[in-house]
Amino acid sequence: MALVSIRDLTVSLPPGADRALAVEDVALEIGRKEIVCIVGESGSGKSVTAHAVLGLLPRGVRAERGSILFDGTDLLKETQDAMRRRRGCDIAMIFQDPMAALNPVMAIGRQISEQIRTHRTISEHEALEQAKGLLEEMGLRDVAGLLKAYPHQLSGGQRQRVMIAMALSLSPRLLIADEPTTALDVTTQAQILKLIKRLQEAREMSVLLITHDFGVVADMADRVAVMRHGRVLESGAANEVLSNPAHSYTRALIAAVPRGEGRLAPPSDMRPLVQVTGLTKRFRRGGLFSRSQATVAVDGISLTLSRGETLGVVGESGSGKSTLARCVIRLLDPEAGTITLDGADIAHMRESALRPLRRRIQMVFQDPFSSLNPRQTVGDILIAGPRAFGEDTKKARSQAADMLRLVGLNPQTIDRLPHEFSGGQRQRIGLARALMLKPEVLIADEPVSALDVTVQAQVLKLLDDVRRQMNLAMLFITHDMRVAAQICHRVMVMRHGKVVEEGPTHDIFNTPSSDYTKALLAAIPGHGLL
Amino acid sequence: MKLRYIAGRLVKTVMVVIAVVLLSFFLIRLAPGDAATVMAGQSGYADEAFMKSLRAEYGLDQPVPVQLWKYVRAVAQGDLGNSFVRRQPVLDVILERLPNTLLLDAFALLVAAAGGIWLGSLAARRPDSAGDASVTVLSMLFYAMPQFWLGMMAMLVFSVWLAWLPPFGIETMGADYTGLARIADIAVHMILPGMTLALYFLASYARLTRAAMIEVADQDFVKTARAKGLTERQVARRHILRNALIPLVTYAGLQASILVGGSVLVENVFSWPGVGTLAYEAVTGRDNPLLLGIFIVTAILVSLFNLITDIAYSIVDPRVELG
Amino acid sequence: MGFVRRFLARPTTVVGLGVFLLIVAIALGAPLIFARGPFSIVGMPLLPPGAPGLLAGSDVLGRDMAVGLAYGARISLLVGITSTFGAVGIGVLFGAIAGYYGGVIDDLLMRVTEFFQIIPSFVLLMVLVAFLQPSLTSTVIGIALISWPQVARVVRGEFLSLRSREFVQAARVLGMRDMAIIFTQILPNALPPIVVVSSMMVGTAILTESALSFLGLGDPNLLSWGSMIGGSRSAMWVAWWTTVLPGLAVMITVLALNFIGDGLNDALNRRRRR
Repeated sequence: MALVSIRDLTVSLPPGADRALAVEDVALEIGRKEIVCIVGESGSGKSVTAHAVLGLLPRGVRAERGSILFDGTDLLKETQDAMRRRRGCDIAMIFQDPMAALNPVMAIGRQISEQIRTHRTISEHEALEQAKGLLEEMGLRDVAGLLKAYPHQLSGGQRQRVMIAMALSLSPRLLIADEPTTALDVTTQAQILKLIKRLQEAREMSVLLITHDFGVVADMADRVAVMRHGRVLESGAANEVLSNPAHSYTRALIAAVPRGEGRLAPPSDMRPLVQVTGLTKRFRRGGLFSRSQATVAVDGISLTLSRGETLGVVGESGSGKSTLARCVIRLLDPEAGTITLDGADIAHMRESALRPLRRRIQMVFQDPFSSLNPRQTVGDILIAGPRAFGEDTKKARSQAADMLRLVGLNPQTIDRLPHEFSGGQRQRIGLARALMLKPEVLIADEPVSALDVTVQAQVLKLLDDVRRQMNLAMLFITHDMRVAAQICHRVMVMRHGKVVEEGPTHDIFNTPSSDYTKALLAAIPGHGLL
Repeated sequence: MKLRYIAGRLVKTVMVVIAVVLLSFFLIRLAPGDAATVMAGQSGYADEAFMKSLRAEYGLDQPVPVQLWKYVRAVAQGDLGNSFVRRQPVLDVILERLPNTLLLDAFALLVAAAGGIWLGSLAARRPDSAGDASVTVLSMLFYAMPQFWLGMMAMLVFSVWLAWLPPFGIETMGADYTGLARIADIAVHMILPGMTLALYFLASYARLTRAAMIEVADQDFVKTARAKGLTERQVARRHILRNALIPLVTYAGLQASILVGGSVLVENVFSWPGVGTLAYEAVTGRDNPLLLGIFIVTAILVSLFNLITDIAYSIVDPRVELG
Repeated sequence: MGFVRRFLARPTTVVGLGVFLLIVAIALGAPLIFARGPFSIVGMPLLPPGAPGLLAGSDVLGRDMAVGLAYGARISLLVGITSTFGAVGIGVLFGAIAGYYGGVIDDLLMRVTEFFQIIPSFVLLMVLVAFLQPSLTSTVIGIALISWPQVARVVRGEFLSLRSREFVQAARVLGMRDMAIIFTQILPNALPPIVVVSSMMVGTAILTESALSFLGLGDPNLLSWGSMIGGSRSAMWVAWWTTVLPGLAVMITVLALNFIGDGLNDALNRRRRR
């Protein structure tokens, strides 16, 4: 008999939400010693389903009907107190962002011992001993120090291991993991997923893993369920669903996972348009009354960018890739180095001399929700650039309408406000804004990282098409190697402010020379199987 | 590690005190007439000889930096000038009354903090309930009414109409209680002014606690605490309240300065013999040295209190590290 | 318009707005309705409300309470609005510069605002008004001087957070000049909290003015609600209306302003969410 059997689960949302039901008629089975993945995009209801199992639905969100059988008992019919005794004991849960999920003012050891002592009557000392053993099992070192530390003193990976240790402290039979790696660096992601798999085998428990990434499904799942708009569209054994997806949405999701071994078609014009040499940027912390500490974010970076090609800059958080982008476009002022745009060194140019050159180099930003002024209409946002250079409003508006068409939006929406558009549409508007000045160089700073995977694929294709049509030189910043493989001709791998490796995408992916690059490639979810 | 932070706060406190003294120096020059006229006020003691001695004392015939130095040196030695109304050094006059004010203010702060946090956490537990709404409504009312008027209303109700509590002063006149009886007598006299002072801040604390707890309750680690199987009470106490306390500690420090202002008004209404009524006397008696001296002393005390709350903050929030 | 609809959504806001407009009407109309002014003696002292010709009774000197309340409204509103104007003007200027340009200017402003937060501002106000001689002008100047740091802090915070938002960075990349960015991108988005703080500040200023005049530091030639309360202290025990009514007037005005502030908060904050 399956450990968990969900039937006809329907959960309602409070009035005023964008739909009436969060999930509808969801059916799912989780066998013993099985890893089951629920995969879907944002708004699919996958997270709600996971929370419903433990009875952790937020205020106003209610399970209307259905049943969740755990080892024969319907959890939806249990009393509050009975559910409370199960939490952490029979069923445990870990969440997406380990920094937010740990109490910032309580020591790590105490947080783990609290979990243990809620369900077992043992002393604090004994509980801490158990905590020590658990942290060692997670592969953490200097465990004694960790017990006394606070969450903000740990790295992201360490925090997630602490969360897992805490969750498994009472050997639950089911571990629910709600997007446990989304907030982590790609190499850390791979480690955590491996850890979960190892623990699952060792402790013979079941895992319900929520994810938006089919690559993770390929690596981890025994069985998978695909959700969209609150319904389960398809479910079954993971390798079956992956090789023979029945539903068109599943096919689209699998196809949307960026992949590739790097393009081979070289760009036509090999003359470098942008040349960066020895670029260095330091950040100083501290104000008038405190000692300053300097971190070197970008350390002597050099690169060239030619018309018609896309150069990818890949790195994890803290690698300096975003800082590099902002220096090239002079949003930040570098300490040293040169940035030559078609002959002119703009690295230390004064703003007044720089301004006319700004037309030639533009940027697309990461966050669709904060990259557009919420109080301006799309039309005003688009004509702001040309207007700043003295162009006529009427002319600029008709240009804006054309641009909207180019990026795949209806020109009639020119007088709407940003909040009326979806995330993917807003990124298109951001791109249109950048293109209004007819730049030669486009810097894209993680332009698709905040988007759902199907939308990601569309926007990536748009970026590639635009680059080709307008013969742009594109600098593409990303943390996702798969995205780089899909769209970049050349790739530069960065770490701690320095270049680790650089070359044509195909070479980097097939014959990486640096260990770090190899680690990055190995960490790609589902890289063997998709 | 924490020592760097504490040292930094100490330096800041010292700088605030210096700024207060500098500010006072310039305030004197701000008023029409020269410094001697201002410091003599309109007290009626301004005969020629006296003014001459004042001028010499303040060094008014000498360049400004010299005057500043003289002033700073005097203040550092505790010389804040002389009060005309009372014919005594200002510092002595203030120190005599200070304990009464401290007693009243401490009482008000404790009642406000304890009551406010309790009410606020109750309201936060059941948002949008009738209890929550009444806490919000009462807070709004206490925010909007003048504190001195509230005191007078309280006096009207409890001393005049109901005759339950004494309206004036700190002790019953002429009764000469000692020991426990004296303490009880003072306590009874403290109820009306203390509660009046406290109510405004209680409303403040309740609103802040409620807002802080609701915001904290939304955070992921609270969900984690529930997922661990803790009871609602354990979650509320160990996780929500503990984190909500952080902004409240900072708030206590800021409140002290507002409390002093409120004290001036409330002490007046109830004739509580503290620094507040002293300030009123200084105003009516045009006793400028006394008024300025009260500003300096209260400012210094409040900044010391802020130093203490800053240190408490660093204890309550382990994320505070190197300043 | 969506704004008006959101603003008037709460019944308390509507009531607050109505009451406030009524008070403004009374304040403006006082010299027309009560031509003789609040200081003229109309009858016996300490007559209760409802006595013939006396809607609100008479005070310690036999002056008409209703007239006093009406004229007091003029003072309260005048002081409240002008001092807030001044405080907001100075505060926005300093806060915007500090928040946008950062660096040493910002550090300096933070020290100044912290200083004003720590010291007892009411006592400082007393010193200021006493030294400048009590008058309407010194009251307004004094209140503006102790209130501007609060506005500056809010404005600085908004500018600081907006300055690093991606759409402001985009404006820089597009080649917009600093002034254009501040006025077209940042300020419209920073306005909501400034407006809300301002409406609350008018209420606070009215409370502060009443406290000053209660203590005798108000303009000696003008009658305000605070001075009415201060003057009634001896009579309070036998004539409750001399104390209760002016205090109620202050409370109702400040409440109305706070309700308006809440309504403004609702109306303006909606747009800022996604």
